[in-house]
Amino acid sequence: MKDTTNPMPPLRPPHEVMRLARMGAMMPTRLSFLRVLTRRLCAERAVVRRTHWDMCADGFGTSVHRVVLGGRDYALISVSKPLDDASRSDRVIATAWDAAFVLFDGVPTDADIARVAAQAPRQEAGRFEPRDLVLSRANKSMRLWSEIVTALRAGGQPSASRIGEIGYVMRTTAVYGNGKFGIADRHLIEDRPELSGAFAAEMLAVYLIRQFSIDLVQHVGQGTLDRGLARHIGVGNATGLGMAPFLVTHPVLLNNWMVARETALARVLAVANIFPETRKRAARLGDRVAGHLSDWHVPSTPDEAALRALEAEWGGFRLHFADLSARDPYAEVWALAQAGSVALQELVLALLLELNGDIVDGLADCMIDPFGHPPRPFSGTEALRAAVIQDWAWALEIDFDDSEACRRFWYVSADKLEPRLGDRFAEEGAELETPLDIARRVKNLFGDLPKIDQPVSAFLREFPDHKHAVDRVAICAHHPYSEIRDNLIATTCRPIDMLRCKLSFFGATKFDPKSDLWTRITLAQGAPLGDELNEERDDWWLPVMSA
Amino acid sequence: MVAGDERMSRSWTEVQALATRAAAGAGVPSAQSLAFGAMLARHLADGGAEAPLQSALDAPERIVALAQRVEEVIEAASVSPRPIKTVEPDAAQRALLVSWLVGLPCRTAVDVSGETVLAALDLSAPSTRARTERLLVSADLDADLGALAARTYVADSEASRTMGAGANLMDTD
Repeated sequence: MKDTTNPMPPLRPPHEVMRLARMGAMMPTRLSFLRVLTRRLCAERAVVRRTHWDMCADGFGTSVHRVVLGGRDYALISVSKPLDDASRSDRVIATAWDAAFVLFDGVPTDADIARVAAQAPRQEAGRFEPRDLVLSRANKSMRLWSEIVTALRAGGQPSASRIGEIGYVMRTTAVYGNGKFGIADRHLIEDRPELSGAFAAEMLAVYLIRQFSIDLVQHVGQGTLDRGLARHIGVGNATGLGMAPFLVTHPVLLNNWMVARETALARVLAVANIFPETRKRAARLGDRVAGHLSDWHVPSTPDEAALRALEAEWGGFRLHFADLSARDPYAEVWALAQAGSVALQELVLALLLELNGDIVDGLADCMIDPFGHPPRPFSGTEALRAAVIQDWAWALEIDFDDSEACRRFWYVSADKLEPRLGDRFAEEGAELETPLDIARRVKNLFGDLPKIDQPVSAFLREFPDHKHAVDRVAICAHHPYSEIRDNLIATTCRPIDMLRCKLSFFGATKFDPKSDLWTRITLAQGAPLGDELNEERDDWWLPVMSA
Repeated sequence: MVAGDERMSRSWTEVQALATRAAAGAGVPSAQSLAFGAMLARHLADGGAEAPLQSALDAPERIVALAQRVEEVIEAASVSPRPIKTVEPDAAQRALLVSWLVGLPCRTAVDVSGETVLAALDLSAPSTRARTERLLVSADLDADLGALAARTYVADSEASRTMGAGANLMDTD
């Protein structure tokens, strides 16, 4: 709660925010999509009910979890099947999974369940209908699965530290929405308030998959997990290159996500003073961050070192949250954070947002792109040139004659249409490159612009290949946070940074990078369970087992 | 497949994405391919015939020419609110031009009289045109789109499979 507000400071500029090094350090916030969805579930005091459970003792069969949201019924239809260890892969090229899911629009009949049971395990090879809103699949984390089953069957409880360490018993390897393989297009549901938010249907599916996984492990273990332990079981996800191009192919959406986040920060920084209870909460959240970082370990040596460095840095910085000043408290602590690492700054940003739901949460409604980008042509090639100079100086500086600046190319493999990254000087297929080389395209466009002003349409008649770059420049002129301001085909480009950015917007925690190309994460760890959704429980940002 | 004929029921996104890839596979530059995908979905939703689409995919320079024509209409609309008149003698191209214009993400009104297309574009207002629940695509067009799209995929190789993507080939943890 605040009693006075200063003028809102300017947003951080795109050249500072839209860099991979910073995007690769982003943390989940209360604007993250799963958090927004859970907040709505809590506000409506929704209850997840298991209305169908046809599982054998080993946990194979079908189930339905239903929830009413926004006055409508939604149901997760789950299909669990045996899977050999040798077939368990997180890759798109996998053809079998431990479980498959469809988020269904309404109350499924027996025939609906039978249809989904036949199609969902086939995933990309299946065919789906407009009442199927989301398609997903998951594999078990065998290490935690076995430990929980063994402990429950012995009449005990699994190790809390193991649950904290691993964080999930099932890991999704794809969550498809928006018309894929015949499921409903987003435009069919986007006018429903409960699903109008970015990726809301997908997040609802993920939340229900988490509930399914907890129910399934208890069923096979023939016991009941302590509620605190169950709440700390999230749902895992393995994400690879398939997610990265989305940020490039949806520039207006990316802009809107970033603007919402940066506006939230600016609003918070404008708060002039805060009440004592907020100060106490800030101190508690500071402690929680320390606990979360302490719990967060990864096998990768450099990433583990980065986490420990952040933990140490936070150890000193958290004292500022223990004693926020009376005047301009957030602006002061934010200014202090600027002397710290990028990772620290992004962590502080997320904490500041967490403390200020009353002025932040409404921005979630702005994180969609309902209209697309209407055509906004330049008055001529000189106006186009000026826009390039204004927004793309960073791209013009890149020397694309240097082989390391253009070594990589993004492509789609014929093998199950899996997105991949190749070396254009060592591998076949660069001529089929996916057009994510935006910086190079804009630089090439700039080089071909005529000396004398002319209509852009006349220029494009001569150079139709530059249309893509012209469009990107036009979008960026009106949506300044629409472009990642780094060279995405350079040897130094780390796709993992793009994944981290997008996953943080989903609400991911416990990032566990396995290489520069893929990561595992956890979603919904600490979130209220399906029978405890109420506003008092919406306090699970960066959870620790005891929180 | 729809009972009684050879048409396939597809989501809007499926059709648009496949058509975008198909245009790219036919040799159309990326931005024009993207716009073609949107146009094709709108064309089918509005009950347009498939033959003009097939003709355009068979001769990708027709798609580039259409994109150029639309670019000029948009440019004219940005400097004057008056409807823009354009003449297209080729009936197939004219049908696609209309679909392209009405599929733009802005408010449009398009009239056709003989070979003349009269387009009024309000670039400051979003499109209000609804999208359908499903699109029906003939098996022939669906196959053609798929075949052209396949030209954009890179053939699999061992190096690509093991080094070019994310997770391991087998992940039991």
